[in-house]
Amino acid sequence: MSEEESPATRVAIGISFGNSYSSIAYTTEDGKAAVIANEEGDRQIPSILSYVEGEEFQGTQAKAQLVRNPKNTVAYFRDFLGQDFKSIDPTPCHQSAHPLQHDSTIAFKIQDTAEDTENIVTVSEITTRHLRRLRNSGTDYLGKAVNAAVITVPTNFSDAQKESLKKAAKDADIEVLQFIHEPVAALLAYDARPDAKIADKIVVVADLGGIRSDVAVIASRGGMYSILATAHDYDVSGTQLDQVLMDHFSKEFIKKHKSGGDPRESDRALAKLKLESEAVKKSLSIGSSANFSVESLSNGLDFTSTINRTRYELLASKIFAAFTRLVLHAVEKANLDPLDITEIILAGGSAHTPRIASSIVSSFPASTAVLAPSTSPTAINPSELAARGAAIQASLIQEFESEDIEQSTHPMVTVTPHLARAIGILCISGDESSGVFRALVEAETAVPVRRTAIVATPREGGDVLIKICEGRREIKVTKSTPKAKDKKGTVEEDDDSEDDYDSEEEEDEVREKTWKVEKVLAEAALRGLKKGAKVEVQVNVGHDLAVTCHVREVGGKGGVRGGWQAPGVANGSA
Amino acid sequence: PVLPEGWSAEKDFKAVGELTHATDRNIEPVGPHFLAHARRKRHKRTFSEDDRI
Repeated sequence: MSEEESPATRVAIGISFGNSYSSIAYTTEDGKAAVIANEEGDRQIPSILSYVEGEEFQGTQAKAQLVRNPKNTVAYFRDFLGQDFKSIDPTPCHQSAHPLQHDSTIAFKIQDTAEDTENIVTVSEITTRHLRRLRNSGTDYLGKAVNAAVITVPTNFSDAQKESLKKAAKDADIEVLQFIHEPVAALLAYDARPDAKIADKIVVVADLGGIRSDVAVIASRGGMYSILATAHDYDVSGTQLDQVLMDHFSKEFIKKHKSGGDPRESDRALAKLKLESEAVKKSLSIGSSANFSVESLSNGLDFTSTINRTRYELLASKIFAAFTRLVLHAVEKANLDPLDITEIILAGGSAHTPRIASSIVSSFPASTAVLAPSTSPTAINPSELAARGAAIQASLIQEFESEDIEQSTHPMVTVTPHLARAIGILCISGDESSGVFRALVEAETAVPVRRTAIVATPREGGDVLIKICEGRREIKVTKSTPKAKDKKGTVEEDDDSEDDYDSEEEEDEVREKTWKVEKVLAEAALRGLKKGAKVEVQVNVGHDLAVTCHVREVGGKGGVRGGWQAPGVANGSA
Repeated sequence: PVLPEGWSAEKDFKAVGELTHATDRNIEPVGPHFLAHARRKRHKRTFSEDDRI
């Protein structure tokens, strides 16, 4: 504790530490987050370390070493931190230094000094070296010694993993102010923009990475975020897309050069193929065609080729569909319907792919906004979201004492009751079955909460009854199937799956969101309203679920106040 | 809706029901609005007390 920096001398940055790429960001004087480029000019810095004759390379330089020096190059190590050797999947490391069991941790055997001996370097030490380099890049850029950071982690990162990341950061002279979840950081990056409006909404953050994809469904209520569901997938990812291109170009190569052999069968050719395929994939996110070119790919033969985006999208269509399925699956896991989703934020490197964004757009209703570079002009670079969010959080808390941060993030503070149903008022008719429910406080809102709304009064004013109710969202499906029947008769011979497909095409389902009033909570009367008067309704839910409300005519005085107690407490009215 | 004939209550307010039991969830400790929430919770302040500061 004694060596912790005092808040006054803290220089904090946001770090997004990924398996494939890391990035660092800071907040400018005017409160905007900006991603820092390292000395090589990269904002997305490959999380790779490589050693050549004792010299350490990182980032893009280390990535190039995957071809010539794979054994002394360490990549894809973030998810190994704080893990048991048996629980890890070493597949992504096949083309670089392999992870080994070392005591209770994981290590790599690499030649990281000038001497001709192999050393065992733990994953924690690798992480420290990586973070130290990131810290130095930040220090060089800012001209001030960076000594603290907010680091983003996946939502399923265990405490042991966080603990070991914290230790690795400490060894790199970085005080971890807080770990924040990657999807929440992405959401914060959007909400912190000056033109952003804080609203009650359900947001899906799809973080499509290199070797894993994570989706989180988040209830955003008045700028506070609660995660409703998460989904993780280690098969649907950017490397899958690389693989599609690698297979495509290998086949082309074999066709063209009969004597060349399959470049996927030699380690070195495979490494070259992989690097170039990733570059081609990135070009295809921007342009409509890209060149593939590798010198001496296999058996000394050069290979050049081109591919256009349409062809690539055809080859990768299965994987694109899998991304969409993953997003829909997460929504289902949260017991929600696509209609409930206000916004989808695409984050991570693979989110640059236009086709992924467009296929997500088409599987959600038109009311859902998809924030990706190809679908929204105001979208933020998906690769930068996590780092920006972390930088914003860092700027918010860097003045705090460490103890304050710890206390504020304690479960005592964060675990809070969330409303099971929406609270709102009944408009138009007093009858629950024919009235229209207008939600004031949405379901899944954390308490305590205060919301105010202004409603129009009916007709000529006079005496008005305000009914405060609890409501539940329902999905109303209206089917209009005129043609489906006679078509079915003619296609009887077709197999079942085709039949299903046909009928799905014909049946025009109209799905909409409606509210069902579950129960009336309170009634309040306002007498003698003016013609066309508006009524302001304020609902205040306490931390114990006791409610007070205040109903008054806009511009008028007084109004009606009242409340009721928490569930399970005797004596209902106040 | 229009006030039905003969409706009356003390101070014109009648509590009929109470909230359904809520579900406990974790709020993400991130962002300015959460920090305001944490401050209120730790100092046991209400919204209006917080507004005054």
